[in-house]
Amino acid sequence: MALVLSSLPVLLWAALVTLALAVGSMIIGLVIGVFTALARISKNRVLQKTAAFYISVIRGTPLLVQIYVVYYGLPQVGIALDPVTSGIIALSLNVGAYLSESFRAAIQSVDKGQMEAAASLGMTYGQAMRRIIIPQSIRTAIPTIGNTYIGLLKDTSLVSVITVTELLQMTSLLIAKTFEPLTLYLTAGAIYWALSALFTALQARVEVRVARHVRQ
Amino acid sequence: MDMITLQGIAKRFGDNHVLKGVNLTVNKSEVVVIMGPSGSGKSTLLRCTTYLEEPDEGIVRIGDYEVKAGAPTRQRQAEIRQLRQHTGFVFQQFNLFPHKTALQNVMEGPVVTKKMPLDQAKAIATELLTKVGLADKCDHYPSRLSGGQQQRVAIARALAMEPMVMLYDEPTSALDPELVREVLQVMKNLAKEGMTMVVVTHEMGFARDVADRVIFMDGGVIVEEGTAEEIFHNPQEERTRRFLANVRH
Repeated sequence: MALVLSSLPVLLWAALVTLALAVGSMIIGLVIGVFTALARISKNRVLQKTAAFYISVIRGTPLLVQIYVVYYGLPQVGIALDPVTSGIIALSLNVGAYLSESFRAAIQSVDKGQMEAAASLGMTYGQAMRRIIIPQSIRTAIPTIGNTYIGLLKDTSLVSVITVTELLQMTSLLIAKTFEPLTLYLTAGAIYWALSALFTALQARVEVRVARHVRQ
Repeated sequence: MDMITLQGIAKRFGDNHVLKGVNLTVNKSEVVVIMGPSGSGKSTLLRCTTYLEEPDEGIVRIGDYEVKAGAPTRQRQAEIRQLRQHTGFVFQQFNLFPHKTALQNVMEGPVVTKKMPLDQAKAIATELLTKVGLADKCDHYPSRLSGGQQQRVAIARALAMEPMVMLYDEPTSALDPELVREVLQVMKNLAKEGMTMVVVTHEMGFARDVADRVIFMDGGVIVEEGTAEEIFHNPQEERTRRFLANVRH
């Protein structure tokens, strides 16, 4: 118990790094996801195929390999990035691909009368997407966005392999000093769990808020 | 003066010739009701008028705006948007924006496509909702409105663009019977104010009271046209007679 208490400040600080990795990657991933989804449903075949290829590659390879490619692989072609940047890039690209599929499904689930109504007012495709279709599809996508985010939160532990001192890496460093793997890994696990539970609760509140215009 | 001119509008879905080169001219302030059995092409004709459906051939002119059937170039898309901004379209399923209040629904067109300042758009939207009898529903989301109220909001939304013509695609077909009247009343008032309107509907009472001309369509062509009196009481074509017998039960 004394060990848990004494290591807690350091671990919580590392948990902040984990959180920053997750939030940062999620924000970039959301942007990538929206644009990839739009490319995927566009009539332009080049955009469509490029998006499909990107999604296929990301979903068909382990995240760990993606992280290695960005951090250890890219320096070979002259792109040397620091561990944190590499981690965020790999995580963003990964989560962006998964989110784009959620967005695509959500956009396509919006009634096609909505696009027609927007068009009948003289809106452009872009205006209709931005003002009418995407706001409605976000509501549909929120549960999957939430799940993807919680998955991402846990996946950040993988960037410990490229020396980013996030929660798992910090735990391992403490274990190397104290030789108490069970206690410390359990403590780290508890922190991940608490963060996940926090965001699950937050997700539930967001879902209620975006559904405010729907009949109870 | 011609307000709407359709020339040779043709549309195929695969092997199915839905429209076989339809010509139609509607004068300013005229109210035209289009009737016909399902699959006759009446809704497709209306949708082709603002290119919600792309006709394979034909020319549409509304006021000074003319668009020909053809490939979707950037230039042509812009012309279609111009045409639509001056044409109100009312859908069978209302198609209100569910994430926006009644007022926001009505404001949306002017704000987005005309870049109208919010306070001006709000004033116009409030006035229009008052006009359709929904002044007290401005802040309601569509999910809290009845079908008849939703359709009246949809009419106000179309009117907010200050259209030269109003097109209605079976505006009361999705409504419970007791809600039909309130929608038709709003449409009648508009007709009285001199709005040019084309209405696809089975409402014979409305046609009799309001229509200057009734058009009967079947098999992708206009079979016959005339005043409501002529079409309902003295139809010349067998197909029209058969259809009317079915509608009257």
